[in-house]
Amino acid sequence: MRPRTGLLMQALLVVALLGLGAGCAATRVKPWDRDLLAEKKMQFNPSPSESDVDQHIYFSKEGSTGGSDVGGGGCGCN
Amino acid sequence: MQLGVSKPTSPLRSRLSAAAGALLALGSPAVSHGDAANPTWHVDASTLFYGERSRTRIVEPVVRVTRLFPDGQSISAKLAFDTMTGATPSGAMPSGRVQTTTTASGHVVTSTVGDIPLLPFRDTRAALDVEWQKPILGTLRSTIGGHVSREKDYQSLGANAKLSVDLMQRLTTVTVGAGTNRDSVFPIGGTPVGLSDGTILDTGSQAKRVTDGMVGLTRVITRRWIAAVNVSRTLESGYLTEPYKVVSLLDRVNGLPSGELKENRPSTRNRTDVLGSSVYHFTDDVLYSSYRYYWDDWGVRSHTIDMKYRHELEDNRYVQPHVRYYAQTRADFFTFGLKKGAPLPAYATSDYRLGPLRTVTLGLTYGFRTDYVPGEFSIRGEYMRQYGDGYPKDAIGTMSTMDLFPPVGIATLVLAYTVDF
Repeated sequence: MRPRTGLLMQALLVVALLGLGAGCAATRVKPWDRDLLAEKKMQFNPSPSESDVDQHIYFSKEGSTGGSDVGGGGCGCN
Repeated sequence: MQLGVSKPTSPLRSRLSAAAGALLALGSPAVSHGDAANPTWHVDASTLFYGERSRTRIVEPVVRVTRLFPDGQSISAKLAFDTMTGATPSGAMPSGRVQTTTTASGHVVTSTVGDIPLLPFRDTRAALDVEWQKPILGTLRSTIGGHVSREKDYQSLGANAKLSVDLMQRLTTVTVGAGTNRDSVFPIGGTPVGLSDGTILDTGSQAKRVTDGMVGLTRVITRRWIAAVNVSRTLESGYLTEPYKVVSLLDRVNGLPSGELKENRPSTRNRTDVLGSSVYHFTDDVLYSSYRYYWDDWGVRSHTIDMKYRHELEDNRYVQPHVRYYAQTRADFFTFGLKKGAPLPAYATSDYRLGPLRTVTLGLTYGFRTDYVPGEFSIRGEYMRQYGDGYPKDAIGTMSTMDLFPPVGIATLVLAYTVDF
């Protein structure tokens, strides 16, 4: 890992986490106001099978991988 | 989820129902939208058709079946079966003359003048994934998973576990997880010695170990907006080389390929990435966006931007355009060829996936329901185009006049169906 890259990403991560924290602190979404959030399409990954297919394609065609989950299967495609 | 025929409800009751649904939904990802009071089955099936021009073709049917239990537990199993045929770049450089390459199975392949040499292949892969989710102590959830897959020259065995906790009135979810894979590589024809002309090291299997961990934070920002940050780290060790890929030996003066060596990669790789994601609900439509930054100790760094916009139509139909942009730097040991007679480096690859690379993806999904069959259907078409540095500055002789990385076009079609009952 390049040290400068690591420092930059750590700084960005702290900013992102602070931003998320600030956003949440500023707005209290009550349980009875979470009707939209409860919709299936509001999930980060509403179509797991399609997402798995995508990750497999990207894993086999690009040099990077990872991000949203742990585990998953290895394959001889990369 | 099938709701069936419902009685008219009061606004207050609807609101309370929505709130209860929201609490359940936020407490359990992916498949928690069924009625938790009754056992429910969820089936998610899809088939991928994948094609690269003059190269690889894949058909991959996938089915995932999930059993939901009244206490919030769920157990799922996913079965996938790939059929892969076609040809893949060998790593050798194009030249102004016909080139021949011998495949691992002994076949001699001839490539035409100026074209990227390809190696034909045919393989099948079967994979099984299982997952068990269980709520613990109210706001805590555990997920345990396992994986096994097998193809002609590769086997993967894996296990993973995650723990999620909801905090601050379920406005925040913290997730930690870890996984490990014990893979085996058994190349057809044996494992070659790296940077040799094909000398076989041994004919047994080579071990590859993958260990990864992640930490994630998900926050409800507003009634319409949810965002997350995930950080993950992956450590790989063992046999990480592509046994069939080669690196061209180039004439020092005219740059023409005059031989080739088997590629060789380091035996460890440490990957790290940070992923930021957002889902925003407009009046009806939903915008999904994410950005990932990735880096590893092979020198690859990448940026990935992904956006989808789900636009609702009438009668439970929707369209969803998709745009994705990916850009990576080259690995430290990536090369378009080694100069013949020069001292060999410790590692070298010409695998374009470790070279300077950009991928642009455009896609469109159409989803719909019918009155005759329960569940939701979708059809998705996408086009990916990969670009590299086809005219590198360090190209020598005639190589500098050839496109060493012609763009690769990839078309995919996914047919999907999901149903709860």
